[in-house]
Amino acid sequence: MWEQILEDAPRFFGPWNLLFLGEALVNTLLLSYLGAAMGFAIGFGLAIGRHPRLYGVLPLRIAATAYVEIFRRIPFLVKLMCVFFAFQLSGAQASLFTIALVTVVLSAAAFAAEIARAGIESVPAPQWDAAEAMNFSRWRVLTRVVAPQSWRVALPPLFGYAVGFIKSTSIASQIGVMELTYAAKILNTRGFSAALCFGTILIVYFLICWPTKRLGEKLEARLGHRAKA
Amino acid sequence: MNYSLIYSQVTPHIPYLLGGAVLTLQLAVISFVAGWAIGLVNASVLHFGPRPARAAVQAYVTFFINTPLLVQIFFIFFVLPDAGILLSPYAAVAIGMSLNAGAYLTEIQRAGFQSLRREEIDAATAMGFSVPQMVWYVILPHIAKALYPPLSNQFIIQVMTTSIAAIFAVEELTGRAYNVNSLTFRSLEVFSITAVIYVALTLVCSLALALLGRWLFRVKARIL
Repeated sequence: MWEQILEDAPRFFGPWNLLFLGEALVNTLLLSYLGAAMGFAIGFGLAIGRHPRLYGVLPLRIAATAYVEIFRRIPFLVKLMCVFFAFQLSGAQASLFTIALVTVVLSAAAFAAEIARAGIESVPAPQWDAAEAMNFSRWRVLTRVVAPQSWRVALPPLFGYAVGFIKSTSIASQIGVMELTYAAKILNTRGFSAALCFGTILIVYFLICWPTKRLGEKLEARLGHRAKA
Repeated sequence: MNYSLIYSQVTPHIPYLLGGAVLTLQLAVISFVAGWAIGLVNASVLHFGPRPARAAVQAYVTFFINTPLLVQIFFIFFVLPDAGILLSPYAAVAIGMSLNAGAYLTEIQRAGFQSLRREEIDAATAMGFSVPQMVWYVILPHIAKALYPPLSNQFIIQVMTTSIAAIFAVEELTGRAYNVNSLTFRSLEVFSITAVIYVALTLVCSLALALLGRWLFRVKARIL
C-alpha cells in the first residue's frame, strides 16, 4: 500500500491534477460559502417573519414555522434529489451547480432561521416594552433595538453551521457537480490510488473547515465578552 | 413544460420504503451507541487522562468534526482494502458513522463533565458518600439531566445522516427510494414521499425521546 502511494505521488501531484483539484476547490468554496450566505440571509427573513412582535402575522408565522420544521428534518441527500428532479421535470434549464446551490440555500435558510430566532429572543422583554411605549414602528424596533444586539448572539453559531454546509457539499458529488469529492472520485477512476485521492481531499476539506470553525469560536469569545461588558 | 405528479404508481411501494426506515433506525442506533461509548471514553480521557492521550483525543475530534462524513466513509471503504481489510458496505458505513458520531459525542460529553460542580462533590464527600454512591447519586443524575437534550438531538442527526448509506448501496430508506425510482421512474414522487417519511420518522423519534427523558427523570427524582 505504502509503496504504491509513494510511486503514485509524483504523478498525482502533477500540474494538471493540481489544476483539476484547484478548480474543484473553487467550486466547493463557492457552493458552500455562497450558499450559506444566501441561505442565512433568507433565514433571518424567516425569523423576522416568525416573531409575533415583528412581522409575524399568523399565516406568515405558520408558513415559516412549517418550512423550518420540515426542512431541518430532511437529509441533505434526499433534499438534493428532490431539487434535482424538480428542476429536471419542470424543464427549467439549470446547471448542476445551480441545483446544488439551491439545495444548500434551502437547508441553510431553515437552520439559520432557528439561530436568528435565538438571537432575537436574546433581547430582553423590557426593551420591547420600552420601544413600544416610545411608539417605535416595527421596522425601527428591528433596526434600532433588535438587530444591533441579536447579531452578536447569532453570528458565531452561523460559522459552525457554515462548516456543516461545506461538509454537506461533498454529497453534491452524487449528482455530478464538479467539486472536491467528485474530483477525487474521477482521479480514483483514472487509476490513482484511493488513499492518495481521498486522503488529499480529506486534508483539503480540513484546511477549509478548521479555520472557519476557529473563526466562529474566536468571534464567540470576543462578541460574548463585549456583550457582557 | 407540464408535468403532472402521479403518486398512484409509487404508493404500492410505501411499505417497502418503510421497511427501509427500519434499517435506517437500526443504523442510527448502532452508530449512536458506538459513538456514545467512544465519546464517553474520550471525554473521560480529556478530563482525567495524561497530556499525550488528551492531545490524541483532541486531534481525533478536530479531524473528524472538520471533514465530511461521506469522504471519511469513502476512505474507509476504498482505502482499507488496500491495507488488507475488506469491509461490507454496511460495515464501512456503520464504522464511519460511529467514528464521526464519536467525535461529536466527545464534545457533548466533555461539556457535561465540565458542568459538574466541585461543591456538589465536596458536599457528597462531607455526607459520607462512597465513590460509587457519589457517581450513582450525584454525578450521573446531574450529567444525565444536562446531557439528555444534546444527546437526543445528536440521535436525530444520526437518523438523517444514515441517508449517506444509500451512496454505498445499503438498502435503507434512501437506498430503497433509489430502487423504487429505477423501478417506476416517478422520481419526484418517490423522493418527496421519502422526504415525508424522514420528517415523520424524526418527529416520532423526537417525541419518543422527549417522553422517555421525562419518564426517566421522574424515575430519578423518585429515587433521589
